[in-house]
Amino acid sequence: MSSQVGKKVIKNENISRNTEVTETINFSCLCDPLRVLRESPGSLFLLEYCQLTRQACLKAQDLWFAYEDSPVAALRGVSLTIGEGDFVALIGQNGSGKTTLAKHFNGLLRPTRGQVLLYGEDIRNRPVSTLARRVGYVFQNPDHQIFSPTTRDELAVGPRNLGLAETEVQRRVTETLASFGLKLYADRQPAALGFGLRRKISLATVFTMQTPILILDEPTTGLDYRSITELMELTRKLHHRGYTIILITHDMRVVAEYAPRCLVLRDGQILADGDTRTIFKQTDLLRETHLELPQISQLSRRMIPNGMPDDTLTVPEFCEAYSRLSH
Amino acid sequence: MPIVVDLYIPRQSWAHAIDPRVKLLFVASAILVLLVFNNLFILLGALLLLHLIHWSARIPFQKIKFVWKTLLPVMLLISALWILFYPTGTPILQIWIIKITPLAIAQGLVLAMRILSMALAVFAWLYTTDQPSLVRSIVKMGLPYEWGLVLALALRYIPTFQGTYSLISEAQQARGLDISSGTGFRRVRMMMPIFVAMVISSLRASDQLAKALESRALGARGVRRTTLRDIHFRPVDYLYVVLILAITIGLLYLKFQYGLGVHSVNLM
Repeated sequence: MSSQVGKKVIKNENISRNTEVTETINFSCLCDPLRVLRESPGSLFLLEYCQLTRQACLKAQDLWFAYEDSPVAALRGVSLTIGEGDFVALIGQNGSGKTTLAKHFNGLLRPTRGQVLLYGEDIRNRPVSTLARRVGYVFQNPDHQIFSPTTRDELAVGPRNLGLAETEVQRRVTETLASFGLKLYADRQPAALGFGLRRKISLATVFTMQTPILILDEPTTGLDYRSITELMELTRKLHHRGYTIILITHDMRVVAEYAPRCLVLRDGQILADGDTRTIFKQTDLLRETHLELPQISQLSRRMIPNGMPDDTLTVPEFCEAYSRLSH
Repeated sequence: MPIVVDLYIPRQSWAHAIDPRVKLLFVASAILVLLVFNNLFILLGALLLLHLIHWSARIPFQKIKFVWKTLLPVMLLISALWILFYPTGTPILQIWIIKITPLAIAQGLVLAMRILSMALAVFAWLYTTDQPSLVRSIVKMGLPYEWGLVLALALRYIPTFQGTYSLISEAQQARGLDISSGTGFRRVRMMMPIFVAMVISSLRASDQLAKALESRALGARGVRRTTLRDIHFRPVDYLYVVLILAITIGLLYLKFQYGLGVHSVNLM
């Protein structure tokens, strides 16, 4: 298997027709070539986090934030860099500052101290509606977004707000309906559909705006296994197409299976920032922040004396490792 | 960031301990007396008395200042309008066709003080009564329980809806809705998505609340509902009732029978 070094090119306008985007695979000394083949056969983009060559699209520099009537700061000196095309999970206990941090990225909250840079530009004074072109935020409660009489209209709201031509709006709506599997519900009233569908629709409405950065605030709460898988596979597809995904979640299994990079927050500070596999190995850190490993990882760790690895993240990995064990 | 709509200020004072029904009677009587009398000195006396009540109920100065601050524009406007456009008696000053008379000034002041006094009377009731007692008092005086519940729920849900409003507003702004620009009609049109989402959300919430209440036996037939926190008349409360009624009736009698407060600066 050969490795080539080159530059990844993403053209936002053509993001939906990814077959036309030219790029070469980008390797760094950190990645495991075999794992690349194993995890993403046939994918066009590399999923590994590689800060050296990626364009930083979001940066927080010594970010402090306190809510109006609160003496305690919700964010205390947070600094991070998110590169273009990253898939980052923000994890931590309730109240650790995950949503507060994410709301700074699209201007819903303004820093009390420190800076937030979007593509190198300080966004302190930009209105939210302008930032909505670059950063899409999918809220936790889909019912806070849905208000249109039909799904089609609902999907069209975002691009229309951005001032796009009606033909382009319709094109995007039709395409989104297809890729999200919502064609059946196109002319139904979204408020009357089931919760899982409403969740999907709220993600779809932000997707039609085709913002290069997508923030998903707890997209899997309240969903059953199948809906979670559907939603996350959709998210993974988006990531493959080059979108930068920031995922706020409590579900450690989802983080293990889908997010290559994660940030651990506690009391408004970042305790760890890096490769998911590495972070999940730090059991002391996780215990400190009351985060539990996914069950399969816990099982694998229990079987370390039997020869199982200490960094199993998914069921297929476990099965493979286990099959290598028994002879 | 909850914004509480409750005006109640928890303190230990004689006013806080009075049965809310007595306070309601006080408010009604006070408003009646304030409307009937037009005498500058009587109204000044009433104003001072109300301030005394607020002070002895340990209401912080800030809260009293709040009432003053809110009403000052209205008071000034009404006084000014009266003084400028209702001259009676001999003018002491004349600018063009506007005559300023002492009687008009007095009446202007009376009007201003009346507004302030009525507000202070109402606030004396609201600052010293918490929401549950307030609703309970109205229910005990005859309002059907379910109506009292509606009132209590409405008050309780105001902060919730404010929270939902800001969440929905944020969500729509995150989809590119620009609510800061535009004027008049266009601005209202911009609020439509938020408005519709709020209505849908409220309908959902009320539906769920109704089911929750029903599941907890609201409206059960054949049983008399008991109350966990009840209000009772103390012996001294009866005394207050007698006192309030005596003063009110006394004042009214003195005015209509003997013309109390009519011959001084009175224009009625």
